[in-house]
Amino acid sequence: MDYDDSGIIADLKQDTKKDLAFHMLVNKYQERLYWHIRKIVMNHDDADDVLQNTFVKVWKSIDKFREESSLYTWLYRIATNESISFLNANKKRSFMPLNDVSEYLVKNLESDPYFEGDEIQLKLQEAIVRLPEKQRIVFNMKYFDEMKYEDMSKILDTSVGALKASYFHAAKKIEDFLKNTD
Amino acid sequence: MDNLKENTPELSKIKKENPFRVPENYFDDFSARLQMKIEAEKKVVPGPKRRIIQLLKPAISLAASFALIFLLVYWPLKSFLPGKFAESNTIEIESYDNENQYLTLLEGIDENSFYALIDEPSATVEFSDDELINYINTNMSEYDIYLGTDN
Repeated sequence: MDYDDSGIIADLKQDTKKDLAFHMLVNKYQERLYWHIRKIVMNHDDADDVLQNTFVKVWKSIDKFREESSLYTWLYRIATNESISFLNANKKRSFMPLNDVSEYLVKNLESDPYFEGDEIQLKLQEAIVRLPEKQRIVFNMKYFDEMKYEDMSKILDTSVGALKASYFHAAKKIEDFLKNTD
Repeated sequence: MDNLKENTPELSKIKKENPFRVPENYFDDFSARLQMKIEAEKKVVPGPKRRIIQLLKPAISLAASFALIFLLVYWPLKSFLPGKFAESNTIEIESYDNENQYLTLLEGIDENSFYALIDEPSATVEFSDDELINYINTNMSEYDIYLGTDN
């Protein structure tokens, strides 16, 4: 059944069709949102938790969705915020220094049985997790997901120019890390 | 973008692929697991009791903090300065005793003697002529004496 976003939104706002429409929405976006979240939190179990929280939030707040942005943008924004909140909560729980979540993420990556990259892939991921949070998200969305800057701008609420600069700085830092570590 | 590739030769060498995997059938089962979570969320609606506790929580915390501070200050002081506490307790007992004695004294007076004391006519005081002259000389001027004798 092909269900476009406007049809899903309309049905989500009707009590009789809400459950079915939500099921459609989950099936349509679960995979894309999962990979977006997974690249932020790194570990599968954490990504699973955050993905569930994201959809629960969508379920609870669908009535507040004003359609000022597309459904796709709104969902990505919720997923990004939930991922960042999850990392911040972990930082607080383990008394990590502010803005330093990289060690936690490296451990998360190393202990994840669902990481199957080779040595160079692991090194690239280690370089990515050492980036500042915003640069890391921008780099992943651009490098792996090949998302347009215009779409990223709507999701992250940041200008295209700032996103380009973030991506450029992130790529430069990753290059330095790859060159200078064995 | 080409400029970026020139500036990042090491990064460009790495094959762009997703190194992450998911457990088997993860996406097939996800929807069912999510549905269970949402059903559980629907059942957990905060009742009024819980809301009252939420409202009273700051006040309860404050009261608990005061009680804790009192215990932390009072008990060590009582333990380390027992003399000081004994002294203040003695003063209280003494003042209590004085008050008690006064009440006992009042209770000791019988009613008849009390009224007899109130009704008793002012006692007649007898004094000699010399005492009278001395009193007048000390407390009255000659003019006062003149005015007195004139009337």
